[in-house]
Amino acid sequence: MNNWITNNFWIKILSLILAIVTWFYVNEELIKEKQMTKQLYKSSIISQIQYPSYEKKPVK
Amino acid sequence: MNHYTVLAKMLTEICILWFAYYGILIFARGTRGVYVLRGIILITSLFIITKLLGFERINWIFTKIFALSILAFLIIFQQEIRRGLASIGQRRWSRFFLKQSEIINEITTACFLLSKRKIGLLIAIERETRLEDYIESGVEIDAKVNSELLITIFTPNTPLHDGGIVISGERIAVSGCLFPLTQNPKVSATLGTRHRAALGLSEETDAIVVVVSEETGGVSVAIGGRLTHDLDRESLERVLSNLYRPDKKNSK
Repeated sequence: MNNWITNNFWIKILSLILAIVTWFYVNEELIKEKQMTKQLYKSSIISQIQYPSYEKKPVK
Repeated sequence: MNHYTVLAKMLTEICILWFAYYGILIFARGTRGVYVLRGIILITSLFIITKLLGFERINWIFTKIFALSILAFLIIFQQEIRRGLASIGQRRWSRFFLKQSEIINEITTACFLLSKRKIGLLIAIERETRLEDYIESGVEIDAKVNSELLITIFTPNTPLHDGGIVISGERIAVSGCLFPLTQNPKVSATLGTRHRAALGLSEETDAIVVVVSEETGGVSVAIGGRLTHDLDRESLERVLSNLYRPDKKNSK
């Protein structure tokens, strides 16, 4: 067990640090992306893209 | 989704990334790729630092370099990536455990057969510390660990039976090696040369040294300057399976 931990100890530590940094970085980017998508929905840009103005809407 | 689920997901993802990074670093170790990896890690660190400090322009440059570096990475590591993917596909994941147990089984079988016949045996199993100095004093064997071969080597009146053998990785590297005798004054005077050599080597290196006494047929193990006498088969197997990792050393 002890050998399993100490074997390549510094490579394990380095890869753990890289993994944590990557996870937080990607997480932050995903949060930003989600926030941006929400804002786009709110400002109805998406709905305008989905229903462009040149498309004729049924008139009552 | 409760907090525990979020935490579990986060830890699982970090563990997956950890294994991936560890695999890449281990794979690149000892190849020319390690220098490129160092460069990548350095650029990544600078990228993160500039992002944290809010240097937008520098960060923009790094983002562009990143985009290019992916292409460069694929070109530079073309061979390594191909080799790595091929090895993932070919790897037998159970091989490590099978190999370890097979080798331990061969060693213990030889030990207890020789023990029954009261034939002396001295095996040094290399771990982190290289045993090159001692390997030079022996005769090169470079063969798979096999109980029949071990018994043959230690059979009296054969040219290689004197001295010890060194197991490096999953192979018998050399036989007829001379190991240093312990200088510890506390060691019992009744202890024979073979046991003294086992103790001496275990004091100087982290090797596991297995000894079979010619006089009593007792099986002993020396680790870190300590000798454990009269082990039974199960105890020897347990000691070896806890300490011996054939995969750590590259087989020749």
